[in-house]
Amino acid sequence: MNLLVVAIFLPLLGVAMVWVTAEWGRVAARSIALWTSLATLGFVAPLLLYPVLGQGEPVEIDAPWFANSLVDIRFSLGLDGLSYWMFGLSALLTVTAILVSWEAISERAPAFYCMLLLLESGMLGVFAARDIILFYIFFEFTLIPLFFLIGIWGSEERRYAAIKFFLFTLAGSMLTFLGLLSIVLWNYFHAEPHLLTFSIPALTESLAVHPIDPGWQLWIFLALFAGFAIKVPLFPLHTWLPLAHTQAPTAGSVILAGILLKIGTYGFLRFSIPMLPEATVACMPWILWLSVAGIIYGALVSLAQRDMKKLIAYSSVSHLGFCMLGIFAINPLGVQGGTLQMINHGLSTGGLFALIGMLYERYHTREIAAYGGMARRLPILAFFMVVFTFSSIGLPGLNGFAGEFLLLAGAFQRGYADSPAMWHGQWTTIAVLAVFGVVLGAWYMLWLVERVFFGPLREPANDAHGDHHHPVHDMCLREVLALVPLVVFMVWIGVAPNHFLRPMAGSLDDSIRAAAVSFDKRYDMHTAPATATVLLPPGEGGRRPDEGGAAVGAHAASPSPGRRGDHPLPKGEGFIARGKLARDD
Amino acid sequence: MTTETLAHLIPEFALIGAATLIYLLGAFIPAPEGSPWRKLWVLLAVLALAKAAYFLWHPWMAAPEAGPVVADLFSEYARWLTLAVGLLLVLLAAKPGAQAATAEFQATLLMAIAGVMIVASARELVLIFLGLELVSIPTYVLLYLGGRGAGPQESAVKYFYLSILSSAVLLYGFSFLYGAAGSTDLTVLRETLARGPEEIGGAQLMALLALVLVMAGLGFRITAVPFHFYAPDVYQGTTNANAGILSVLPKIVGFVALVRIVSVAMPGLEVFGWRIALILSMLTMTLGNVLALFQDNVRRLLAYSSIAHAGYMLIGITVGFATAHGNDASNVFDGTGAMLFYLTVYAIATTGIFAALTYLGTPDRQVNDVDELAGLGRTQPLAALALAIFLFSLAGIPPLAGFWGKLTLFSAALENALGINVATGQAGAASLRNWLIALAIVGALNAATAAAYYLRLVAVMYFRPSVSVVKAQGGAGAAVAMALCALVVVGVGVYPVPLVRDSDAASRTAYALTPAARVVATEPAATHVDAGTQAVADASVVGSSVAD
Repeated sequence: MNLLVVAIFLPLLGVAMVWVTAEWGRVAARSIALWTSLATLGFVAPLLLYPVLGQGEPVEIDAPWFANSLVDIRFSLGLDGLSYWMFGLSALLTVTAILVSWEAISERAPAFYCMLLLLESGMLGVFAARDIILFYIFFEFTLIPLFFLIGIWGSEERRYAAIKFFLFTLAGSMLTFLGLLSIVLWNYFHAEPHLLTFSIPALTESLAVHPIDPGWQLWIFLALFAGFAIKVPLFPLHTWLPLAHTQAPTAGSVILAGILLKIGTYGFLRFSIPMLPEATVACMPWILWLSVAGIIYGALVSLAQRDMKKLIAYSSVSHLGFCMLGIFAINPLGVQGGTLQMINHGLSTGGLFALIGMLYERYHTREIAAYGGMARRLPILAFFMVVFTFSSIGLPGLNGFAGEFLLLAGAFQRGYADSPAMWHGQWTTIAVLAVFGVVLGAWYMLWLVERVFFGPLREPANDAHGDHHHPVHDMCLREVLALVPLVVFMVWIGVAPNHFLRPMAGSLDDSIRAAAVSFDKRYDMHTAPATATVLLPPGEGGRRPDEGGAAVGAHAASPSPGRRGDHPLPKGEGFIARGKLARDD
Repeated sequence: MTTETLAHLIPEFALIGAATLIYLLGAFIPAPEGSPWRKLWVLLAVLALAKAAYFLWHPWMAAPEAGPVVADLFSEYARWLTLAVGLLLVLLAAKPGAQAATAEFQATLLMAIAGVMIVASARELVLIFLGLELVSIPTYVLLYLGGRGAGPQESAVKYFYLSILSSAVLLYGFSFLYGAAGSTDLTVLRETLARGPEEIGGAQLMALLALVLVMAGLGFRITAVPFHFYAPDVYQGTTNANAGILSVLPKIVGFVALVRIVSVAMPGLEVFGWRIALILSMLTMTLGNVLALFQDNVRRLLAYSSIAHAGYMLIGITVGFATAHGNDASNVFDGTGAMLFYLTVYAIATTGIFAALTYLGTPDRQVNDVDELAGLGRTQPLAALALAIFLFSLAGIPPLAGFWGKLTLFSAALENALGINVATGQAGAASLRNWLIALAIVGALNAATAAAYYLRLVAVMYFRPSVSVVKAQGGAGAAVAMALCALVVVGVGVYPVPLVRDSDAASRTAYALTPAARVVATEPAATHVDAGTQAVADASVVGSSVAD
């Protein structure tokens, strides 16, 4: 049995078990859910060892699903640099989500855990899918469980929030669907043989040879943009997010912030940038401006919040702006930083939502003003809060720094070095504004921690639900265990980001190569030596951040092939090449 | 009319015969409510459908080469679809209200099913009209049997007058077609019109007039805007079972007739045909979806939903018109085939919804308002789950059947927009292209709009506490129909291949109007592969010509 298939569909087995044992109530349901998610994590972990250790064969599956002489829809799953870490993070955060719901969910618990496991299956599938139809099915499928999670177990305005979330995402994704179909059909008409293939690797490869007509590219890009930008969410399409986050139960917020938003950025990296390079470059200035607008706007609105969950929700808008900024700098530094930041944000914001959920469980309010000096009452919780905050604001040594540094370096590189002179001013301004956003981010996060956890002790009356003077406990072992893995990864990424960057580098370079070439063509930069970096074979991009400065400086030098050796994936073993091999069989 | 023709129609005769028998027995066996005799009528109806299926599976004689009926894959697909939906409808209506006479109800329903099947087989305008009336007239009776209150009577009368009007319009159109071709045979009609305006002169104009009239007349059956306006009132006024019948049978018959008469038999008019269909499609889905957002009555909401779905299916008709007579084999997604597949998926999901609503009501008191569904997720978990599956399928959420319906429809539209070879000649190609893209975008936005009201129903069922006790005494038949529909919707969603393949093969043979069925019926995949190879060849020619 294929490990990947087991990992993706194991949660469905858990759903069946929870369903069957629904009569036994909450304790059985949550135990089954926890063990299922741990088992899934156990199956996911070996899949991720391949990229880290560079040994063995990548696990994949490729079988015809809806195939005849004309149409080729395949049941094709596999992982590559773009998806390794998001795949793993999905499995990890589901465990966290189940642990933080342990006591919080008392009503209809079996149904709750069913939805959570369904969601896990959908998320794992999105990142592993290598066929457009399969991707889209998982993509849409994640909506249904979250719709119910928000709508049934959410706060006061849950119905409105659930419907708004679903409709926003669906409206965008219907257009995305048209865009994806257009890509497939274009390829059908222009590539030999005339086969309506939905395979993502085959399409990426084929479109590199037969690029889509630029006029069409723009329209298709906009169609894809509609869905992915809403999902991210890119300013000004973010309005569904704060509502959904505030109203969702803690587990829903953790998963939504940690994973589901990243499906948008993942979609850009998987489809828009490699398949529509010219449109990507044409839209790039606009997207950079929207990203930085989101960074600043999200940060400013966060500063004004009185509800701490809403604050974190708006900070997500800001952080995802950073991811988009890095990715759409279209250079290795930026895209690596942006992708790393996707993981970082999943860890830190997922943890912050979990912590706020724990606080809410104890005091039944999320009003910042109601708290004060909680560090004295809840020292362990305060410790975790400080750690996650430091990660979120990019303290060196933790993961946030690695990501933000890389992506800002990428943005500055685009602004100073790799752009035509007339654009220097504009793109450097964008990068400078983004740095300003980092400062704002530190401000609102530290201010939040200061107001809630330090200063004179001010406890909200915790009798909202009748439990008078019930002594408030600090974090119990279960809650600590829910967060410790996240902290471990935060430190690990902070100390040795290369472990995480290296497996991604090859795929990321493949993903942006065509767009980078098209950028140079559009801005007439054939002679600029900086392009050499972009055109390096996979494996050249994975520098440690401490080499980042050297990397920027090293552009003038011609690429040295000697560096190849330290990459576990030799050239041609990337996702695309493997897809080709599989298809040729 | 030869013996082969009669032999070909044996399944229809079986249904009509069984209906007559049930009428007769019903007159002599009074079956008050609760009487075990009531089950007999359902049993007889199911047996009749089984018998018809048997005759359809094992034809008595070779298919007629000429004459009023045609036995191609298209008619075969439509007849099987009708039988399947018919079985579900018979089960759904197994326990009608206290006042309704079950024997008459079941027999009349069988008549209507036979009518749809006749239209599916017809190659002849008169037979098509006969079949259409055999659907309409039983429908009036069904609406009257639905209830004796003011509401049901009003809806029956409304449907009666408007249906008569639409039949008259349709007949008027047929008369022009007869004038143009001198025959009611679709083959002759097609050959005449294919000769082009230079040769047939004024007949082309008559055919154009006929095109408009036929589309208006059939637009009533398929509830295309602006011929839709009766539907919300009629659905609201009648029972859930009747609304289920109304939202499925006239749609099937209308779309089948539309394909047969307009797509197949009226070459040379595509330029007008696809424009009319495109405008109808955009108007129908937009109006249906937008108005459905504001409804509180379940049946009224579903009426607008069924209007909107007619709009989606008209996308397929539009593409089918535009490509019908040029290169029918060169498309991966045939517009008509996509329509046929969507029709199937829609019919099953809609029947399922009405079966669930019937099941949730009682014979005397049926589910009327959206609010009555509140809390269903807890009080009736299985029915709520089935309803949620149908609603998500209609909204086009994967991995349910409706998703594949939208996939094939949008692909068909986009394929002809992006593709280089469009049948309407070089002049109209660019405009067709842009319009088809616009159509696909409008369709996608509509699909998102539609999700709003489907989700509202799901949200009411799962997010709101129960307000009134739902008795769920609609009968075992409705429950079985609901479960069957749910299984089909999920099953087709997981593995859509056979149904997509068959509907596609069916639509590709529809244009020939020759009995292809007997040759390929045992080997439907083979035809498709042939068509596919042909298409690859054509497409490569096209590709190289563009490369030049």
